[in-house]
Amino acid sequence: MSRPVPVPTQLSRPFWEAARRGELVVPHCPTCGLRFFVPEPACPGCMARDWRYAPSAGRGTVYSVTVVHRAPGPGFDTPFALAVIDLDDGATLLAHVDAGDPGDVVIGLRVHVDFRALTDEITLPYFVPENRPSPSITE
Amino acid sequence: MNPADRRLPVVVGVYATEQALSLPDRDAMDLALEAVSGALMDAGLAPSDVDGAQVDWPGPGGVPGEGSSWARVLGRDLRWTSDSMLDNAGSRGLLKAAAAVRAGFADTVVVGGCRLVSRGTGPVGAGVALEFADVWGSYVVAQFALVAARHMHEYGTTSRQLAEVAATIRNNGTTNPEAMMYGRGPYTADDVLASRMVATPFHLLDCCIVGEGGAALVVTTAERARDLPHPPVAVLGGGMQYHQAAYANPALYREVGGLGRPAAERAYAMAGIGPHDVDVFSLYDPNSFEVIRQLEILGLCGEGEGGPLAASGAIAVGGKHPVNPDGGCLAYAWNGTQQMTLKVVEAVRQLRGTAVHQVAGAELAVVGNAGSGAQHYEMSVLGRMR
Ligand SMILES: [Zn+2]
Repeated sequence: MSRPVPVPTQLSRPFWEAARRGELVVPHCPTCGLRFFVPEPACPGCMARDWRYAPSAGRGTVYSVTVVHRAPGPGFDTPFALAVIDLDDGATLLAHVDAGDPGDVVIGLRVHVDFRALTDEITLPYFVPENRPSPSITE
Repeated sequence: MNPADRRLPVVVGVYATEQALSLPDRDAMDLALEAVSGALMDAGLAPSDVDGAQVDWPGPGGVPGEGSSWARVLGRDLRWTSDSMLDNAGSRGLLKAAAAVRAGFADTVVVGGCRLVSRGTGPVGAGVALEFADVWGSYVVAQFALVAARHMHEYGTTSRQLAEVAATIRNNGTTNPEAMMYGRGPYTADDVLASRMVATPFHLLDCCIVGEGGAALVVTTAERARDLPHPPVAVLGGGMQYHQAAYANPALYREVGGLGRPAAERAYAMAGIGPHDVDVFSLYDPNSFEVIRQLEILGLCGEGEGGPLAASGAIAVGGKHPVNPDGGCLAYAWNGTQQMTLKVVEAVRQLRGTAVHQVAGAELAVVGNAGSGAQHYEMSVLGRMR
Protein backbone atom coordinates (compact mmCIF):
# COMPACT_ATOMS: atom_id res chain seq x y z
CA MET A 1 0.00 0.00 0.00
CA SER A 2 1.24 3.46 -0.81
CA ARG A 3 0.39 6.82 0.66
CA PRO A 4 -2.58 8.77 -0.77
CA VAL A 5 -1.79 10.28 -4.17
CA PRO A 6 -3.28 13.70 -4.92
CA VAL A 7 -5.80 13.79 -7.75
CA PRO A 8 -5.37 17.11 -9.56
CA THR A 9 -8.48 19.20 -10.06
CA GLN A 10 -9.31 22.10 -12.33
CA LEU A 11 -8.00 24.36 -9.57
CA SER A 12 -4.81 22.51 -8.78
CA ARG A 13 -3.62 21.08 -12.09
CA PRO A 14 -1.19 23.97 -12.87
CA PHE A 15 0.34 23.57 -9.39
CA TRP A 16 1.13 19.91 -10.00
CA GLU A 17 2.35 20.56 -13.56
CA ALA A 18 4.73 23.20 -12.23
CA ALA A 19 5.90 20.90 -9.42
CA ARG A 20 6.76 18.26 -11.98
CA ARG A 21 8.96 20.85 -13.71
CA GLY A 22 10.58 21.64 -10.35
CA GLU A 23 8.82 24.97 -9.89
CA LEU A 24 6.80 26.07 -6.87
CA VAL A 25 3.79 28.19 -7.77
CA VAL A 26 1.04 29.57 -5.53
CA PRO A 27 -2.24 31.30 -6.29
CA HIS A 28 -1.81 35.07 -6.65
CA CYS A 29 -4.66 37.55 -6.95
CA PRO A 30 -3.85 40.52 -9.22
CA THR A 31 -6.88 42.41 -7.89
CA CYS A 32 -5.89 42.55 -4.20
CA GLY A 33 -2.35 41.21 -4.33
CA LEU A 34 -2.95 38.28 -1.98
CA ARG A 35 -0.99 35.06 -2.32
CA PHE A 36 -2.74 32.11 -0.77
CA PHE A 37 -2.77 28.35 -0.44
CA VAL A 38 -4.57 25.97 -0.96
CA PRO A 39 -6.16 27.04 -4.26
CA GLU A 40 -9.76 28.20 -3.86
CA PRO A 41 -12.41 28.92 -6.49
CA ALA A 42 -12.20 32.61 -5.55
CA CYS A 43 -9.61 34.78 -3.82
CA PRO A 44 -9.92 34.68 0.01
CA GLY A 45 -8.95 38.38 0.04
CA CYS A 46 -11.48 39.85 -2.37
CA MET A 47 -13.46 36.95 -3.88
CA ALA A 48 -12.08 37.70 -7.35
CA ARG A 49 -12.19 34.65 -9.57
CA ASP A 50 -9.39 35.59 -11.95
CA TRP A 51 -6.40 34.72 -9.75
CA ARG A 52 -3.41 33.12 -11.43
CA TYR A 53 -0.53 30.95 -10.28
CA ALA A 54 2.66 32.90 -9.67
CA PRO A 55 6.15 31.57 -9.00
CA SER A 56 7.54 31.37 -5.46
CA ALA A 57 11.25 31.30 -4.65
CA GLY A 58 10.44 28.37 -2.35
CA ARG A 59 12.13 29.77 0.73
CA GLY A 60 10.45 30.07 4.07
CA THR A 61 10.31 29.55 7.81
CA VAL A 62 8.77 26.74 9.84
CA TYR A 63 5.74 28.21 11.66
CA SER A 64 4.85 24.98 13.45
CA VAL A 65 5.85 21.35 13.31
CA THR A 66 4.78 17.98 14.65
CA VAL A 67 6.90 14.85 14.46
CA VAL A 68 4.46 12.16 13.45
CA HIS A 69 5.30 8.75 14.91
CA ARG A 70 2.01 7.07 14.12
CA ALA A 71 1.09 7.64 10.47
CA PRO A 72 -2.57 7.75 9.50
CA GLY A 73 -2.10 4.92 7.02
CA PRO A 74 0.41 2.82 5.13
CA GLY A 75 3.10 4.21 2.87
CA PHE A 76 4.74 6.65 5.26
CA ASP A 77 8.20 6.28 6.75
CA THR A 78 7.84 7.25 10.38
CA PRO A 79 8.79 9.33 12.18
CA PHE A 80 8.48 12.32 9.86
CA ALA A 81 8.35 16.07 10.46
CA LEU A 82 5.04 17.51 9.28
CA ALA A 83 5.41 21.27 9.18
CA VAL A 84 3.58 24.46 8.37
CA ILE A 85 5.82 26.68 6.29
CA ASP A 86 5.41 30.42 5.83
CA LEU A 87 6.88 31.21 2.43
CA ASP A 88 8.94 34.43 2.33
CA ASP A 89 7.03 35.62 -0.71
CA GLY A 90 3.59 34.87 0.68
CA ALA A 91 1.27 31.93 1.30
CA THR A 92 1.54 29.19 3.92
CA LEU A 93 1.62 25.50 3.18
CA LEU A 94 1.84 22.08 4.75
CA ALA A 95 4.79 19.82 3.83
CA HIS A 96 7.37 17.48 5.24
CA VAL A 97 10.69 18.97 6.21
CA ASP A 98 13.47 16.46 5.71
CA ALA A 99 16.32 17.34 8.03
CA GLY A 100 17.64 13.83 8.46
CA ASP A 101 16.58 13.69 12.11
CA PRO A 102 12.96 14.91 12.28
CA GLY A 103 13.64 16.15 15.80
CA ASP A 104 15.91 18.79 14.28
CA VAL A 105 12.95 20.47 12.61
CA VAL A 106 11.97 23.24 14.99
CA ILE A 107 9.81 26.33 14.84
CA GLY A 108 11.73 29.14 13.18
CA LEU A 109 13.92 26.85 11.09
CA ARG A 110 14.77 28.33 7.69
CA VAL A 111 13.90 25.95 4.86
CA HIS A 112 13.72 25.77 1.10
CA VAL A 113 11.78 23.62 -1.30
CA ASP A 114 13.17 20.31 -2.53
CA PHE A 115 11.01 18.55 -5.10
CA ARG A 116 10.69 14.77 -4.98
CA ALA A 117 8.71 12.63 -7.39
CA LEU A 118 5.95 10.52 -5.87
CA THR A 119 4.49 9.14 -9.12
CA ASP A 120 4.92 9.89 -12.83
CA GLU A 121 2.35 12.64 -12.50
CA ILE A 122 2.82 13.93 -8.94
CA THR A 123 5.99 15.56 -7.66
CA LEU A 124 5.86 16.81 -4.07
CA PRO A 125 7.35 20.00 -2.67
CA TYR A 126 9.33 18.73 0.31
CA PHE A 127 11.40 21.22 2.25
CA VAL A 128 14.92 20.92 3.63
CA PRO A 129 16.94 23.13 5.98
CA GLU A 130 18.30 26.20 4.24
CA ASN A 131 21.95 25.32 4.75
CA ARG A 132 21.49 22.11 2.82
CA PRO A 133 22.06 22.30 -0.94
CA SER A 134 19.25 21.23 -3.23
CA PRO A 135 19.40 20.59 -6.96
CA SER A 136 16.00 22.19 -7.39
CA ILE A 137 17.10 25.66 -6.28
CA THR A 138 19.10 27.70 -8.75
CA GLU A 139 20.68 30.81 -7.33
CA MET B 1 -34.45 33.31 33.00
CA ASN B 2 -37.80 34.98 32.70
CA PRO B 3 -40.52 32.61 33.99
CA ALA B 4 -42.99 34.23 31.61
CA ASP B 5 -40.77 33.29 28.63
CA ARG B 6 -42.95 30.46 27.41
CA ARG B 7 -40.89 29.69 24.30
CA LEU B 8 -37.57 29.56 26.14
CA PRO B 9 -35.85 26.48 24.60
CA VAL B 10 -35.16 23.79 27.18
CA VAL B 11 -33.60 20.32 27.13
CA VAL B 12 -36.03 17.81 28.62
CA GLY B 13 -34.59 14.48 27.53
CA VAL B 14 -31.12 13.01 27.08
CA TYR B 15 -29.85 9.54 26.34
CA ALA B 16 -26.56 7.80 25.62
CA THR B 17 -26.40 4.26 24.27
CA GLU B 18 -23.68 1.91 25.37
CA GLN B 19 -20.29 3.21 24.22
CA ALA B 20 -17.57 0.74 23.32
CA LEU B 21 -14.48 0.27 21.21
CA SER B 22 -16.60 -1.90 18.95
CA LEU B 23 -20.25 -2.92 18.97
CA PRO B 24 -20.13 -5.74 16.44
CA ASP B 25 -23.74 -6.79 17.05
CA ARG B 26 -25.12 -3.30 16.48
CA ASP B 27 -25.45 -1.15 13.37
CA ALA B 28 -25.78 2.63 13.15
CA MET B 29 -29.55 2.57 12.50
CA ASP B 30 -30.14 0.35 15.51
CA LEU B 31 -28.11 2.68 17.73
CA ALA B 32 -29.82 5.80 16.35
CA LEU B 33 -33.25 4.30 17.02
CA GLU B 34 -32.26 3.36 20.55
CA ALA B 35 -30.90 6.87 21.15
CA VAL B 36 -34.07 8.57 19.93
CA SER B 37 -36.38 6.22 21.84
CA GLY B 38 -34.27 6.58 24.95
CA ALA B 39 -34.24 10.38 24.83
CA LEU B 40 -38.02 10.48 24.31
CA MET B 41 -38.58 8.11 27.21
CA ASP B 42 -36.31 10.21 29.41
CA ALA B 43 -38.36 13.27 28.38
CA GLY B 44 -41.66 11.53 29.08
CA LEU B 45 -42.74 12.12 25.49
CA ALA B 46 -44.20 9.89 22.80
CA PRO B 47 -42.81 9.68 19.24
CA SER B 48 -45.84 11.58 17.97
CA ASP B 49 -45.01 14.51 20.29
CA VAL B 50 -41.93 15.22 18.18
CA ASP B 51 -42.33 17.68 15.29
CA GLY B 52 -38.65 18.18 14.50
CA ALA B 53 -35.89 15.64 13.88
CA GLN B 54 -32.26 16.63 13.48
CA VAL B 55 -31.17 13.03 13.65
CA ASP B 56 -28.82 10.86 11.58
CA TRP B 57 -30.65 8.37 9.39
CA PRO B 58 -27.99 5.90 8.34
CA GLY B 59 -30.45 3.31 7.01
CA PRO B 60 -31.26 0.63 6.04
CA GLY B 61 -34.79 1.82 5.36
CA GLY B 62 -35.96 5.28 4.40
CA VAL B 63 -33.38 7.18 2.38
CA PRO B 64 -29.93 7.06 4.02
CA GLY B 65 -28.82 10.58 4.94
CA GLU B 66 -32.31 12.11 4.70
CA GLY B 67 -33.62 13.31 8.04
CA SER B 68 -37.18 13.28 6.77
CA SER B 69 -36.97 9.50 6.90
CA TRP B 70 -37.72 9.93 10.63
CA ALA B 71 -41.25 11.14 9.87
CA ARG B 72 -42.29 7.63 8.95
CA VAL B 73 -41.09 5.93 12.14
CA LEU B 74 -42.14 8.79 14.41
CA GLY B 75 -45.56 8.36 12.84
CA ARG B 76 -46.23 11.99 11.95
CA ASP B 77 -45.31 14.76 9.55
CA LEU B 78 -42.32 16.82 10.67
CA ARG B 79 -41.98 20.61 10.64
CA TRP B 80 -38.21 20.68 10.95
CA THR B 81 -35.39 18.37 9.92
CA SER B 82 -31.75 18.23 8.87
CA ASP B 83 -29.69 16.15 6.48
CA SER B 84 -26.34 17.18 7.97
CA MET B 85 -24.39 14.98 10.38
CA LEU B 86 -22.92 18.07 12.06
CA ASP B 87 -26.33 19.70 12.49
CA ASN B 88 -27.46 16.54 14.23
CA ALA B 89 -25.06 16.67 17.14
CA GLY B 90 -23.87 18.58 20.16
CA SER B 91 -23.98 22.32 20.69
CA ARG B 92 -24.49 23.01 17.00
CA GLY B 93 -27.48 20.68 16.80
CA LEU B 94 -28.81 21.97 20.10
CA LEU B 95 -28.53 25.63 19.09
CA LYS B 96 -30.21 25.05 15.73
CA ALA B 97 -33.01 23.13 17.40
CA ALA B 98 -33.31 25.87 20.03
CA ALA B 99 -33.50 28.49 17.27
CA ALA B 100 -36.28 26.53 15.57
CA VAL B 101 -38.18 26.19 18.84
CA ARG B 102 -37.67 29.85 19.73
CA ALA B 103 -38.85 30.97 16.29
CA GLY B 104 -41.86 28.70 16.37
CA PHE B 105 -40.90 26.56 13.37
CA ALA B 106 -41.17 23.53 15.64
CA ASP B 107 -42.14 22.83 19.24
CA THR B 108 -40.26 19.65 20.12
CA VAL B 109 -37.06 18.66 18.32
CA VAL B 110 -34.94 15.54 18.73
CA VAL B 111 -31.22 15.91 18.00
CA GLY B 112 -28.78 13.02 17.75
CA GLY B 113 -28.12 9.72 16.08
CA CYS B 114 -25.19 7.51 15.32
CA ARG B 115 -22.55 7.34 12.64
CA LEU B 116 -20.10 4.48 12.86
CA VAL B 117 -17.04 6.35 11.63
CA SER B 118 -14.80 3.77 13.23
CA ARG B 119 -15.92 1.25 10.61
CA GLY B 120 -14.71 3.35 7.69
CA THR B 121 -11.43 2.70 5.96
CA GLY B 122 -8.37 4.72 6.76
CA PRO B 123 -7.74 7.16 9.57
CA VAL B 124 -10.42 9.20 11.28
CA GLY B 125 -10.41 12.48 9.46
CA ALA B 126 -12.49 14.65 7.21
CA GLY B 127 -14.11 11.66 5.54
CA VAL B 128 -13.28 13.01 2.09
CA ALA B 129 -10.02 13.09 0.13
CA LEU B 130 -7.99 16.22 0.93
CA GLU B 131 -5.61 16.89 -1.92
CA PHE B 132 -2.96 18.90 -0.07
CA ALA B 133 -3.21 17.20 3.34
CA ASP B 134 -3.59 13.43 2.92
CA VAL B 135 -0.42 13.05 0.88
CA TRP B 136 1.60 14.42 3.79
CA GLY B 137 0.08 12.05 6.31
CA SER B 138 -1.81 14.90 7.92
CA TYR B 139 -4.71 13.74 10.07
CA VAL B 140 -6.75 14.94 13.01
CA VAL B 141 -4.15 14.29 15.71
CA ALA B 142 -1.42 15.97 13.65
CA GLN B 143 -3.54 19.03 12.86
CA PHE B 144 -4.25 19.61 16.56
CA ALA B 145 -0.58 18.92 17.30
CA LEU B 146 0.46 21.76 14.99
CA VAL B 147 -1.65 24.17 17.05
CA ALA B 148 -0.42 22.79 20.38
CA ALA B 149 3.23 22.95 19.31
CA ARG B 150 2.94 26.65 18.48
CA HIS B 151 1.18 27.41 21.78
CA MET B 152 3.98 25.64 23.63
CA HIS B 153 6.55 27.62 21.64
CA GLU B 154 4.90 30.97 22.33
CA TYR B 155 3.89 30.53 25.96
CA GLY B 156 6.11 27.84 27.40
CA THR B 157 3.23 25.43 27.88
CA THR B 158 4.78 22.10 28.85
CA SER B 159 4.22 18.45 28.03
CA ARG B 160 3.74 17.84 31.74
CA GLN B 161 0.89 20.36 31.85
CA LEU B 162 -0.71 18.54 28.93
CA ALA B 163 -0.19 15.25 30.75
CA GLU B 164 -1.84 16.60 33.92
CA VAL B 165 -4.94 17.42 31.86
CA ALA B 166 -5.02 13.96 30.31
CA ALA B 167 -4.51 12.22 33.66
CA THR B 168 -7.23 14.27 35.38
CA ILE B 169 -9.89 13.62 32.75
CA ARG B 170 -8.86 9.99 32.25
CA ASN B 171 -9.19 9.41 35.98
CA ASN B 172 -12.78 10.67 35.82
CA GLY B 173 -13.46 7.97 33.25
CA THR B 174 -11.64 5.33 35.26
CA THR B 175 -14.30 5.61 37.95
CA ASN B 176 -17.33 6.10 35.64
CA PRO B 177 -18.99 2.71 35.03
CA GLU B 178 -20.41 3.98 31.70
CA ALA B 179 -16.97 4.93 30.40
CA MET B 180 -15.10 2.89 27.81
CA MET B 181 -11.98 3.17 29.97
CA TYR B 182 -13.75 2.30 33.23
CA GLY B 183 -11.37 0.62 35.63
CA ARG B 184 -8.31 1.24 33.46
CA GLY B 185 -6.62 3.81 35.67
CA PRO B 186 -5.71 5.56 37.76
CA TYR B 187 -3.21 7.51 35.69
CA THR B 188 -0.53 9.96 36.69
CA ALA B 189 1.04 12.60 34.49
CA ASP B 190 4.13 10.39 34.42
CA ASP B 191 2.04 7.55 32.95
CA VAL B 192 0.91 9.87 30.18
CA LEU B 193 4.46 11.05 29.50
CA ALA B 194 5.68 7.44 29.44
CA SER B 195 3.11 6.33 26.84
CA ARG B 196 4.32 6.09 23.27
CA MET B 197 4.50 9.18 21.10
CA VAL B 198 1.77 9.58 18.47
CA ALA B 199 2.59 13.02 17.06
CA THR B 200 4.61 15.49 19.09
CA PRO B 201 3.63 16.83 21.57
CA PHE B 202 0.91 14.19 21.94
CA HIS B 203 1.58 10.86 23.62
CA LEU B 204 -0.94 8.07 23.23
CA LEU B 205 -2.60 8.95 26.55
CA ASP B 206 -2.88 12.62 25.53
CA CYS B 207 -5.21 11.54 22.73
CA CYS B 208 -8.86 10.57 22.82
CA ILE B 209 -10.14 7.07 22.34
CA VAL B 210 -12.13 5.95 19.29
CA GLY B 211 -15.25 3.86 19.59
CA GLU B 212 -18.87 3.35 18.72
CA GLY B 213 -22.18 4.48 20.17
CA GLY B 214 -25.09 6.87 19.78
CA ALA B 215 -26.75 9.67 21.72
CA ALA B 216 -29.76 11.97 21.52
CA LEU B 217 -31.44 14.88 23.27
CA VAL B 218 -34.89 16.49 23.15
CA VAL B 219 -35.48 20.25 23.03
CA THR B 220 -38.87 21.83 23.60
CA THR B 221 -40.39 25.02 25.02
CA ALA B 222 -40.41 25.93 28.70
CA GLU B 223 -44.20 25.89 28.50
CA ARG B 224 -44.33 22.34 27.14
CA ALA B 225 -41.74 21.23 29.72
CA ARG B 226 -43.89 22.14 32.71
CA ASP B 227 -45.54 18.76 33.12
CA LEU B 228 -42.58 16.61 32.05
CA PRO B 229 -40.74 14.39 34.55
CA HIS B 230 -37.30 16.04 34.78
CA PRO B 231 -36.50 19.61 35.74
CA PRO B 232 -35.89 21.36 32.42
CA VAL B 233 -32.43 22.61 31.48
CA ALA B 234 -32.61 25.95 29.68
CA VAL B 235 -30.55 26.89 26.64
CA LEU B 236 -29.45 30.29 27.94
CA GLY B 237 -26.98 31.24 25.24
CA GLY B 238 -24.78 30.01 22.48
CA GLY B 239 -22.35 30.93 19.76
CA MET B 240 -20.61 29.34 16.81
CA GLN B 241 -17.51 30.11 14.78
CA TYR B 242 -16.36 28.63 11.47
CA HIS B 243 -12.86 29.61 10.38
CA GLN B 244 -12.76 27.36 7.34
CA ALA B 245 -13.63 23.83 6.36
CA ALA B 246 -11.79 21.31 8.49
CA TYR B 247 -8.41 19.74 7.73
CA ALA B 248 -7.95 20.86 4.09
CA ASN B 249 -5.60 23.61 5.20
CA PRO B 250 -3.40 23.31 8.27
CA ALA B 251 -4.75 24.90 11.44
CA LEU B 252 -2.49 27.87 12.24
CA TYR B 253 -2.26 28.97 15.86
CA ARG B 254 -2.23 32.63 14.78
CA GLU B 255 -5.62 32.09 13.13
CA VAL B 256 -7.33 29.54 15.37
CA GLY B 257 -5.61 30.00 18.75
CA GLY B 258 -8.52 32.20 19.78
CA LEU B 259 -11.15 30.19 17.93
CA GLY B 260 -14.41 30.29 19.86
CA ARG B 261 -13.63 33.33 22.03
CA PRO B 262 -16.10 35.65 20.26
CA ALA B 263 -18.70 32.87 20.30
CA ALA B 264 -18.21 32.41 24.05
CA GLU B 265 -18.43 36.15 24.68
CA ARG B 266 -21.72 36.31 22.77
CA ALA B 267 -23.04 33.25 24.56
CA TYR B 268 -22.19 34.62 28.01
CA ALA B 269 -23.79 37.96 27.15
CA MET B 270 -26.91 36.21 25.92
CA ALA B 271 -27.09 34.23 29.15
CA GLY B 272 -26.31 37.28 31.28
CA ILE B 273 -23.42 35.52 33.01
CA GLY B 274 -19.63 35.53 33.06
CA PRO B 275 -17.20 32.62 32.71
CA HIS B 276 -16.56 32.46 36.47
CA ASP B 277 -20.27 31.86 37.11
CA VAL B 278 -20.10 28.50 35.30
CA ASP B 279 -20.09 25.46 37.59
CA VAL B 280 -19.11 22.72 35.16
CA PHE B 281 -17.59 22.48 31.68
CA SER B 282 -18.24 19.80 29.11
CA LEU B 283 -15.48 20.49 26.60
CA TYR B 284 -14.12 18.85 23.49
CA ASP B 285 -11.05 16.88 24.49
CA PRO B 286 -9.70 15.19 21.36
CA ASN B 287 -6.39 15.69 23.12
CA SER B 288 -5.10 17.22 26.32
CA PHE B 289 -4.01 20.50 24.76
CA GLU B 290 -7.41 21.48 23.40
CA VAL B 291 -8.72 21.66 26.99
CA ILE B 292 -5.93 24.12 27.86
CA ARG B 293 -6.81 26.27 24.86
CA GLN B 294 -10.49 26.27 25.77
CA LEU B 295 -9.78 27.46 29.34
CA GLU B 296 -8.27 30.51 27.65
CA ILE B 297 -10.91 31.23 25.01
CA LEU B 298 -13.74 30.62 27.46
CA GLY B 299 -12.36 33.47 29.56
CA LEU B 300 -11.18 31.50 32.60
CA CYS B 301 -7.63 32.85 32.16
CA GLY B 302 -5.58 34.92 29.77
CA GLU B 303 -4.04 33.67 26.54
CA GLY B 304 -1.05 31.49 27.33
CA GLU B 305 -2.14 30.91 30.95
CA GLY B 306 -4.16 27.76 30.29
CA GLY B 307 -1.32 25.31 30.95
CA PRO B 308 -0.59 26.39 34.52
CA LEU B 309 -4.32 26.77 35.27
CA ALA B 310 -5.15 23.29 34.00
CA ALA B 311 -2.24 21.73 35.86
CA SER B 312 -3.20 23.46 39.13
CA GLY B 313 -6.06 21.08 39.81
CA ALA B 314 -8.70 23.57 38.62
CA ILE B 315 -10.25 21.16 36.11
CA ALA B 316 -10.78 18.29 38.58
CA VAL B 317 -14.33 17.48 39.71
CA GLY B 318 -13.69 19.28 43.00
CA GLY B 319 -11.72 22.10 41.38
CA LYS B 320 -12.65 25.67 40.47
CA HIS B 321 -13.53 24.84 36.86
CA PRO B 322 -14.43 21.14 36.60
CA VAL B 323 -14.00 19.81 33.06
CA ASN B 324 -15.52 16.57 31.74
CA PRO B 325 -16.44 14.78 34.97
CA ASP B 326 -17.66 11.85 32.83
CA GLY B 327 -14.17 11.18 31.48
CA GLY B 328 -14.73 13.02 28.20
CA CYS B 329 -13.44 11.80 24.87
CA LEU B 330 -10.21 10.81 26.60
CA ALA B 331 -11.84 8.07 28.67
CA TYR B 332 -15.65 8.02 28.45
CA ALA B 333 -16.32 7.88 24.71
CA TRP B 334 -15.53 9.27 21.30
CA ASN B 335 -17.93 7.90 18.74
CA GLY B 336 -17.72 10.22 15.71
CA THR B 337 -20.06 13.20 15.52
CA GLN B 338 -22.27 12.04 18.39
CA GLN B 339 -19.46 12.52 20.91
CA MET B 340 -20.61 16.14 20.70
CA THR B 341 -24.07 15.13 21.89
CA LEU B 342 -22.51 13.21 24.78
CA LYS B 343 -21.11 16.55 25.96
CA VAL B 344 -24.66 17.91 26.21
CA VAL B 345 -25.86 14.72 27.89
CA GLU B 346 -23.25 15.10 30.64
CA ALA B 347 -24.01 18.82 31.10
CA VAL B 348 -27.74 18.10 31.45
CA ARG B 349 -27.10 15.30 33.95
CA GLN B 350 -24.87 17.63 35.97
CA LEU B 351 -27.60 20.29 36.04
CA ARG B 352 -30.22 17.72 37.01
CA GLY B 353 -27.92 16.55 39.80
CA THR B 354 -27.79 12.99 38.46
CA ALA B 355 -24.26 12.74 37.05
CA VAL B 356 -21.94 9.90 38.01
CA HIS B 357 -19.33 12.38 39.24
CA GLN B 358 -21.65 15.14 40.36
CA VAL B 359 -20.35 18.69 40.77
CA ALA B 360 -22.14 19.77 43.94
CA GLY B 361 -24.93 22.25 43.30
CA ALA B 362 -24.19 22.76 39.61
CA GLU B 363 -26.54 25.38 38.16
CA LEU B 364 -24.71 26.57 35.05
CA ALA B 365 -22.84 24.50 32.50
CA VAL B 366 -20.92 25.23 29.31
CA VAL B 367 -20.72 22.80 26.41
CA GLY B 368 -17.92 23.25 23.87
CA ASN B 369 -17.61 21.23 20.69
CA ALA B 370 -14.95 20.89 18.00
CA GLY B 371 -11.86 23.04 18.32
CA SER B 372 -8.76 24.61 16.88
CA GLY B 373 -7.53 21.74 14.73
CA ALA B 374 -11.00 21.29 13.26
CA GLN B 375 -11.26 25.08 12.70
CA HIS B 376 -14.78 25.38 14.05
CA TYR B 377 -16.25 25.81 17.54
CA GLU B 378 -19.76 25.61 18.91
CA MET B 379 -20.46 26.65 22.45
CA SER B 380 -23.63 26.72 24.51
CA VAL B 381 -24.58 27.83 28.00
CA LEU B 382 -27.10 25.67 29.84
CA GLY B 383 -28.82 26.44 33.11
CA ARG B 384 -30.91 24.56 35.62
CA MET B 385 -34.38 26.08 35.91
CA ARG B 386 -35.41 26.87 39.44
ZN1 LIG C 1 -8.01 39.08 -4.17
